[in-house]
Amino acid sequence: MTSALRHRVSDEAEAIAFATKSGWGDGLPIVSPTVERVQACLEWAAMEPTQVIGVEPVKERVLTAEKVAANAVLAGCEPPHFPVVAAAVQAMCAEEYLLHGSSSSTGGCAALVVVNGPIRQQLGMTGTFSVLGGGDQAALVIGRAVRLVIRNLVDVRPGDLDRSTFGHPGKISFCLAEDEDDSAWLPLAQERGIPADGTSAVTVMAASGPRQIMNEWTTSPEDILETFASEIRANMLHYSIWGGNYAVLFAPQLRDKFEAAGWSKADVRQFIFERAQVRRRDWEAVGKGAVVGTSKADKIYRALPTPDHLLVVSAGGPAGGFGMVVPPWLGTGSAAVTVPVGACVDC
Amino acid sequence: MTHQPHLELVDPTSEAPESTARPAPRPSSLAGGTIGLLSNGKTGTAKLFDHLERMLRDEWGVAEVVRRTKAHYSAPAEDTLMDEAATWSALFAGVGD
Amino acid sequence: MTGERRGVPSVGVMTTTFVDAAELMARACGMGGYAFAVIEHPISSATDAQLEAQARSLLDQAARLLLA
Repeated sequence: MTSALRHRVSDEAEAIAFATKSGWGDGLPIVSPTVERVQACLEWAAMEPTQVIGVEPVKERVLTAEKVAANAVLAGCEPPHFPVVAAAVQAMCAEEYLLHGSSSSTGGCAALVVVNGPIRQQLGMTGTFSVLGGGDQAALVIGRAVRLVIRNLVDVRPGDLDRSTFGHPGKISFCLAEDEDDSAWLPLAQERGIPADGTSAVTVMAASGPRQIMNEWTTSPEDILETFASEIRANMLHYSIWGGNYAVLFAPQLRDKFEAAGWSKADVRQFIFERAQVRRRDWEAVGKGAVVGTSKADKIYRALPTPDHLLVVSAGGPAGGFGMVVPPWLGTGSAAVTVPVGACVDC
Repeated sequence: MTHQPHLELVDPTSEAPESTARPAPRPSSLAGGTIGLLSNGKTGTAKLFDHLERMLRDEWGVAEVVRRTKAHYSAPAEDTLMDEAATWSALFAGVGD
Repeated sequence: MTGERRGVPSVGVMTTTFVDAAELMARACGMGGYAFAVIEHPISSATDAQLEAQARSLLDQAARLLLA
């Protein structure tokens, strides 16, 4: 297999101008993907340039390590970030993720990336303050790299193959580390099959924009989860009724209540599985009476096909009884995928 | 000759070559044939295809119209569906709306 | 598009708002000359009379796209 195309420029200034003019970036300032910077990423991850990270199935696009690394460098990643980017891209290339369909859809979803394991500490990711708003700078550049891969390597750009009507800010970057250290709960990756032996992992989900809920007036896990379930039901009626993966984030002030009551993530999943459902006729109350019909009006729709479809994540700053609900792009059109982070020399 | 300092940039974009896929040969008529209508499941497509089916039977003399729905909005049809489609005379797929 | 690769003459049906994306998709999958029928947008909220007119337009275009 041949190596990636190279472009010769005289200096850094010309490199930036060339990269910008070529449309490699997202409009924000970029770091030029010099051979040296790309090679540094590859050496850190112990990968050959032409090693295949993944293949996008629809257009049969091969995503090589050097191409993914070039996008990571553009996004501002340093070598230690690259293995996480590579793992996220690998996960998105899984057939069940539906990378082409989900990223080109009018629904305008983004790739939510949840990072687990020791690599979080190595990258200085705390998963606490402003966890969805740029609180961890490593998360910011990792998420940005993922979007640049979608633009540059999968050729999905707004107005071209990307038909997103609105999209949402997660399309710029949507990555977070789970706060494993301040939580009694198991990390998401371990719940999804990654062994508890120091392996780091990423979970990627095709996600709509996140919605914040608040319930700090109770110690009852059921009451707190009812607020989450209500937000999910609203999404089903307002946006899309089709069940699939939902992600729910719990800040420490809420997690304390669950720990005190002895509730595990599995208990959370079971409760929300049972409560997050609507009837077709509920559409009438939100202006969608035209599609209710008569024969299926009492049909029940569940947000989660199974309890395991709920991704439960510990994250967020120490104060405030806040939670987050992250709905799916479109039901089971895309499935969340978890993969271990590959060769990491120092973590 | 002095060595000119320079940088080399790794191209971050796809270099996928154009494939050599060609369209299928066209028949002179579809009378007596089987036509597949492949819906992406969106509201309205079924009703549009109802009209199309009627016109294909009444005006083109099509013998059989098969209606199928793809499972996902933006994905290519599944392999098994395409195996069945390979037996059809022609197909309509849509609607991108 | 996948029908063509299996030897089945195929018509992709797009509405006017999707034309650019369809052309790009055809280029991306390496079939730059892939033809598709374009009908008026929208479909989801069209009346039955509008849908019949759109089906008529579709049939007329298909005659050119599917037959030799």
